[in-house]
Parts: sequence; structure tokens; C-alpha cells
Amino acid sequence: MSGPVDLALGILDHQLLDSEGRRCGNVDDLELQGVREGAPRVETILVGPPVWRGRGAIGRLAAAVARGRSVRVPWSEVEKVDSGVRLKQPAEAYGLGRGDARARKLVAWIPGAER
Amino acid sequence: MKKVFEIALGILAAIGGFVDIGDIVFNTAAGALFQYQLLWAVVIGVGAIVTYSEMCGRVAVVSQRAAFDAVRERLGFGVGLLALVAGQLVNLLTLAAEIGGIALALQLVAGLPFRVLLVIAVLALGLAIWAMPFEWIERVFGYIGLALLVFAVGAIKLHPDWGGVASGFVPHADTGDLAVYLFFVVGLLGAATVPYEVYFYSSGAIEERWTPKDLGINKANAIIGYSLGGLLSFALMITAAELFYPREISPETLGSVALGANVPLGELGLLLGLIGILFAVSGAAIDTAFAGAYNLAQFFGWEWGKYRTAVEAPRFTLAWMVMLVLGFLIVVTGVDPIQVTEYSVIFSVVALPATYVPILLVANDRAYMGNYANGRIANVFGIFYLAVILVVAVAAIPLMIISNMGQG
Repeated sequence: MSGPVDLALGILDHQLLDSEGRRCGNVDDLELQGVREGAPRVETILVGPPVWRGRGAIGRLAAAVARGRSVRVPWSEVEKVDSGVRLKQPAEAYGLGRGDARARKLVAWIPGAER
Repeated sequence: MKKVFEIALGILAAIGGFVDIGDIVFNTAAGALFQYQLLWAVVIGVGAIVTYSEMCGRVAVVSQRAAFDAVRERLGFGVGLLALVAGQLVNLLTLAAEIGGIALALQLVAGLPFRVLLVIAVLALGLAIWAMPFEWIERVFGYIGLALLVFAVGAIKLHPDWGGVASGFVPHADTGDLAVYLFFVVGLLGAATVPYEVYFYSSGAIEERWTPKDLGINKANAIIGYSLGGLLSFALMITAAELFYPREISPETLGSVALGANVPLGELGLLLGLIGILFAVSGAAIDTAFAGAYNLAQFFGWEWGKYRTAVEAPRFTLAWMVMLVLGFLIVVTGVDPIQVTEYSVIFSVVALPATYVPILLVANDRAYMGNYANGRIANVFGIFYLAVILVVAVAAIPLMIISNMGQG
């Protein structure tokens, strides 16, 4: 996606949705380019507990407690930004939604879990 | 015609869904201690919950983002996480109180040990959530909870002094112990506005797949449903004012609440009253367990919703299960459920601004809400009730200490 976006209120901490409309994480942080030149643009969306380290003292604390890997999603993979950030491919293609994949094994055996 | 029917169904569910263990405890105790004097506090509490439910329902419908999405987006990660922790602690305490309330109500029917009834309560809740679709859960518990209307009939049959009732809607304090009076103001406001209601309501709008065409239903549900729910609160308070105030009894058990339906209406009244309490409190327990799961999922970006299967939203599913287990573990320790209720209500008032502020901000954001952003009326009410809640939130803990939890 190109064009101007509001970094603080429009993207950061917003919901990520994959190509099938599934929720697959929040935008935990952003990697910017060209800040020094005065023309900042988003390069990468960062997702996952290790990324919280960049989100202040409470973020560092949370990152120390939580487990999980960080995931980088290139901005070129963003299809559209509305009230969420919509990606072009299924979550698995980016390595997103791994927590749900692990948790799935814990509930899948219960009768009626797929209903 | 289908629309009218749908609105009616939603409203009925909202009436039954409004009253929970906190309302039952605080309204009954307030009537016993201060007769009709505190009816006005219920009006303010209902006004606040109507305003903020309508608002967060509208935000959810227009943006498909629920309460804790808004919290994190507006407060950021750090402060948002603090709000999450506070909200979850309150949710847990509330859930423990509701589970305890279910067991207390069951105890009046079946003579089993309290801890056995707790196990039964939690298993039944888990099974109901697992087996029923969202709409069923909301409606089954909402409708059967309507049996609480027996208290409204009972209140009328007790022939209250209607002039006195009317004067209760004008704030005045005719009491020797102002701290206890104010503690009950906080409690009644808190019981009417428990945070899980807003968390649940906003996510529920998405669960029910509302679209902007349903904004009328959203408004009607919030205004009529919660107002009529407030009517049940009035009924509980007036009943207590008739039965307990003259005899200087403080109703410390759920059994004495049920007496409010028994004295004017006999066995049938008692039965309906107990069924109403049982289903209303069970519905509230489910709402609270869901609220906890919604909050976690929204803050961390997980897939969520009862409209997804357990396999599609597994962390959300595990989250409500864990909520139920933790709520059970709190109350199985042997703490008094009525006391847990009182603490949960008072602490919920303290945590409330962290939810209301982001909702108000998002509802005013035209980039987010377009033409559905707050109009002047929603903002006047929104800011007024936020100011009230802020004052009450600051005063809550000091009042709790000064009034010795309302014991004077």
C-alpha cells in the first residue's frame, strides 16, 4: 500500500487481519525509513513479544515475562488500512498466528470443537 | 415487523442481563439502610451505562473494533496493558462473585454443601458456553432472568409510600452517617456500570454481526433494555425498603433477598424470584467470563468470538475456560461471596475510566467513525457521565475505608 497514513493513531497497536479476514496479531511496532530526510515511510510491521521492548518500561517488563518470537511483515504486504491493517496473504505465510496454532491442539480434542 | 421483533428480543435480553449479583446486593442493602433515599443513584448509573453501551456498540458496528481494541489503540501499549491488568482483575473478582452467587441461590433450593454447588455451577456454566451459540446464551439467560420481574410485582403489592419513593429520585441525604450513604452511592453506581457490561456489549455487537443498518437496534437495546433493567433495581430497593428498613434488618444473605418475593407473593413468588436470581446471575457470570476473554484477545490481537468455532479461535476459547477456573478458585477458598461482590463493585468503579476515556475518544474520531461519530447529545452525556465516574473513582477507595465497607 502507498499513500499517507497516520502512524500513531492509524496503524500502531491496530489489529492485523490476513487475506481470509482472520485476526492474526496487533501491530506491536513499526520500522521506519527516511526519518532523517524528513520523509518517513513505514518499511516493516513488527509483531510479537520481543518487539514490546521498544514500547516503554511496561513494554520491556511485558517482553521479559512473555514468550514468543518476533515476526516482520514488509509494508509491501499490506493490502489496505481501514480500522485494521489488512494483509495480502494468509497468516501462516508470514509466520503469524502461531500461538493460535499451538492452542488449537489443546481444544481440538473436545467434542464439538469444530462446530 | 421482523425488525420490531428483533428489537423486542434484544431488549428483553438486556433487561434480564442487566441485573447481576452486584445489583442484587447493593440495591437490597441500600433499601434496607436508607429506604428510598438512594433511588437517584440508580438513575445516574443507568444513564452512564446506557450512554457508554450505545457508544461502544456504535463504534463496534461501524469499525468492527471492540472495547479493548480501542483501549490499546488510544492508550498505547504500556498504559493499555495497565488498563488490561486492572480490567482483568476486576473481571475475575466479579466472576468469582457471580459464581458464588449462583451457588448461594442453588443452596436455597438444594441442600448440598456450598463447595459442591460451586463445582456444579462452574461445570454448568462451562457446558452452557460450550454447547450454545452466542444468541442462545444471551437470550436463554436474559429471558429466564426476566422472572426477576416478580420483584416489581412484589414491590407494588407491598404498597410502598409512593410519595417517599418519588422523593428518592431527588438527591438528598437524610442520615447521620454520610460516609456510609456516600459509600452506597459509589456501590450503586458501580453495580450499574460494572466494566464487563461495556466489554461484553461492544464485542456482542460484532458477535451478532450488526451492520450500520442495525444502529437503531443498538440504540433501542441500550436505552430501553438498560432503563427497564434499572426498573428491576428500583424494585429490589423498594422491596427492601418495605421489608427490612422498618425492622432494621440488614439482609446479609441471598435468602433474605428472595424473601422480598416470598412475603408479598407466597411460594410462587419465592420460586420465580429464585429462578430469576439464578439465571440473571448465571448470565452475568457468562458475560464476565467472555469479557475477560474478549479483552485478552483484543489486546494481543488474537482471533476471538463465539461466532468462530473453538478451533478457529482457540486462545479465546482457552481464555474463557481459564477465567471460569480462576473465578472458581477464588470463591472456593471459602471467602464470603457477598463480600467479594462488594469489593468487586468498588474496585470496578476505580477501573472504569480506563475504559470510558478511550471509547469516548474513538467515538469522536471522524477518521474512524465517519458520519457515525458522536453527535452533540452523545458528547454532552458522555462527558457528564465521565466526570461523574471520575469523581466516584477517586472517592471510592477512601470512602470504602472511612465507612468500613458501609458498616459505619
